[in-house]
Amino acid sequence: MTTLSTPPPGSTNRTSDTAAKEPSTRRSRRGARSASARLGRRRGNTGFVLACLLPALVLFAVFMVYPTMNVFRTSLYTWGGFSPDKDFVGLDNFRQLLDDDQFVRAFQNTVALMVVVTVVTMGMGLFLAAIMTRQRLRGRNLYRFVLYIPNVLSVVVIAAIFSAVYDQDNGLLNGTLRLLSLDGLQQVWLGNQDIVLYSVAIAMVWQSLGYYMVLYMAGMASIPEELYEASALDGASATRQFFSITLPLIWQSLRTTLTFFVMSAVNLSFVLVRAMTGGGPDGSSDVLLNYMYRQAYTNSSYGYGMAIGVVIFAFSFLVSLLVNRATKREPLQF
Amino acid sequence: MRRSLVLTGAAVTVLGLLAGCSSGDSSSDSGKTTLKVAALEGGYGRAMYTEVIKDYEASHPDIDVQLQISKSIEDEITPSMQAGNYPDVVVLGQGRKAGLTETLIKDEALEDLTPVLDEKVPGEDTTVGEKLTKGIVGNLNTNPYGNDQTYLMPMYYAPTGLFYNQGLFEENGWEVPTTWDEMFALGDEAEKQGIPLFTYPTAGYLDSYFYALLADIGGEQFYTDVMTYQQDVWETPNARRALDLTTRLLSYAAPETVGYANEQDFTKNQQLILDNEALFMPNGTWIVGEMADAPRADGFQWGLTPLPAVETGGSRYITTSVESVWIPKAAEHKDPAKDFIAYLYSDKAADIFAKSNAIQPIEGIADSLTGENAEFYQVYEDPSVSALVGGFASTAPVAGVDIKATLFDTANSIISGDTTEDEWQKSLNEASEKLRQAGD
Repeated sequence: MTTLSTPPPGSTNRTSDTAAKEPSTRRSRRGARSASARLGRRRGNTGFVLACLLPALVLFAVFMVYPTMNVFRTSLYTWGGFSPDKDFVGLDNFRQLLDDDQFVRAFQNTVALMVVVTVVTMGMGLFLAAIMTRQRLRGRNLYRFVLYIPNVLSVVVIAAIFSAVYDQDNGLLNGTLRLLSLDGLQQVWLGNQDIVLYSVAIAMVWQSLGYYMVLYMAGMASIPEELYEASALDGASATRQFFSITLPLIWQSLRTTLTFFVMSAVNLSFVLVRAMTGGGPDGSSDVLLNYMYRQAYTNSSYGYGMAIGVVIFAFSFLVSLLVNRATKREPLQF
Repeated sequence: MRRSLVLTGAAVTVLGLLAGCSSGDSSSDSGKTTLKVAALEGGYGRAMYTEVIKDYEASHPDIDVQLQISKSIEDEITPSMQAGNYPDVVVLGQGRKAGLTETLIKDEALEDLTPVLDEKVPGEDTTVGEKLTKGIVGNLNTNPYGNDQTYLMPMYYAPTGLFYNQGLFEENGWEVPTTWDEMFALGDEAEKQGIPLFTYPTAGYLDSYFYALLADIGGEQFYTDVMTYQQDVWETPNARRALDLTTRLLSYAAPETVGYANEQDFTKNQQLILDNEALFMPNGTWIVGEMADAPRADGFQWGLTPLPAVETGGSRYITTSVESVWIPKAAEHKDPAKDFIAYLYSDKAADIFAKSNAIQPIEGIADSLTGENAEFYQVYEDPSVSALVGGFASTAPVAGVDIKATLFDTANSIISGDTTEDEWQKSLNEASEKLRQAGD
């Protein structure tokens, strides 16, 4: 590079050219040197960054990627969980799932919980959040605190609380109904196969309502007050403000929470069902993860359980993706 | 310089993570053999184990016994077992919800313990086999594959049957029914007083009820046929009769039963007996300890009766729950483990266990019992009553088929009217057939 830019000796007619070029060449040479140094440093940085990332990557690989791959692999085998011999059966486990009534029932229950809990929690969460941020409610900090408490409780405690609420003889619910002389409305909340799933759903809503409310409140608090003032001058009602200002402006938080809802319908329902009903009576409140657990760990069908796991994985992935796509909007600026 | 420091730091972190994943080595440096014993902490408590182990270590100075005991021992040992780290001795019976013992049976992952029967009890002249009660070994509970090989040694045995309040019966001048006709007559009689005839803690407790009922109706041969999934066994008149009787009994069930029949509330069903709000429930002798602190009706006294006979003078069976001790095939120290198991049947150990009400199936031990226990074990003295051990035979696992759930849990749906006896019979036959095919 240097030889090219150096003018051949004796070519005087180009002297002025060269003179003009000289400083720039020097400059570019200096520039090249500093660029290569920067590149070198950047390469050094890359190594450094990689080294810093390594622990997290190793953790992620060991505890997330590898087990997940293992789930997929095991789902193709018949295996009890302990013996050294696994039989490769291809997609047989999945084929069997289609004929398994209890699996279909658990699937339906999971979907029902996903829909009911999402709609109710989201609706109530938005409503409460809007009231608390917009209406300047007196004592709203207290309400927020009270509504948030269930979220920090352990699921076992929640199961115990609802066992007391739903108790058919002297439970809170039936006791209140009796007090109001509404004896006809009394139910065996955890024993009636038609309503046991909704009893679980109510507990799930109660548990997560505060969390989502706080999330929505945070979103609403960042909306500039002027927008409301301006719209109020234009004569917009509170309802109109909610649908035309609040909702579009917190759309991004709404979308995020939708993914949370999908996850909690799968995960939280399992823990709650396990602690409250055990999937009963007679499997009527079974959910996918509970059924997977039962098959994998108590029916000695680990491979089959993992096939259920794969279905859960694919299903929640798909639902999250669809929900994400369906709710995609251009983010609004304010 | 600083960068290399950070790099070293990162490397150390990674190494630390990897090191954290590796399992610790259990062998001790002192030359002692470490015997790892895992036990279920059942109603008998944990003190008896520590005492027996102390005694064993005193006579075997070269062995260090590590006891792991928990109420959910399966949850604690399963992960390490899947990682290849097995305990040497496990005291855990079949019929638990987690079904760990059953899983290992199905996976043929248990050590053959037949030689232990011929081994002399340490410090005594008799062999283990000679000390055991006749007939306690050699059934599906100890020889799960139906051959002569014993894989599970019987540890404690306890009668399970219908529990009731003796005081209530005396008060009303009722006789404990000995036939099903008397049973239902009593049901009608008690109903006039507003007391339902029957309840169960959870549907799973119906196991002792069903096993005895099947044997009562069709004898031990029929019972074995059902337990080994003979073709169309659930279509037989005997099977139908069992379901008929059960469906009728369930129509007498306390209205609260289904609503409380879950892990959270099952003690409320048990409380019904204590409060004289139901007459009978299927249960085991542990109920006395389990409900020891619960409030109860005046004059309450626990009673235990076998199921009523199908006909007057008919034979009656009492399902006997037997807890087991076994050695995983992958255990590290199998020989010391076998010696330890043999020791568990020594007079000294048996005394310690009996003090905690854990009764071992050793000849002559029932004579030394006192209190409620003596009364419970009296049921074996009745000549018309025989002990029934075992449960459904193990087959290769069949995905999605759980015959116990089909047989027991459906009771909830029968009571609430969500299913019919015909459907029950049909699904039982389907499940049984699938398991039969898996066993072939």
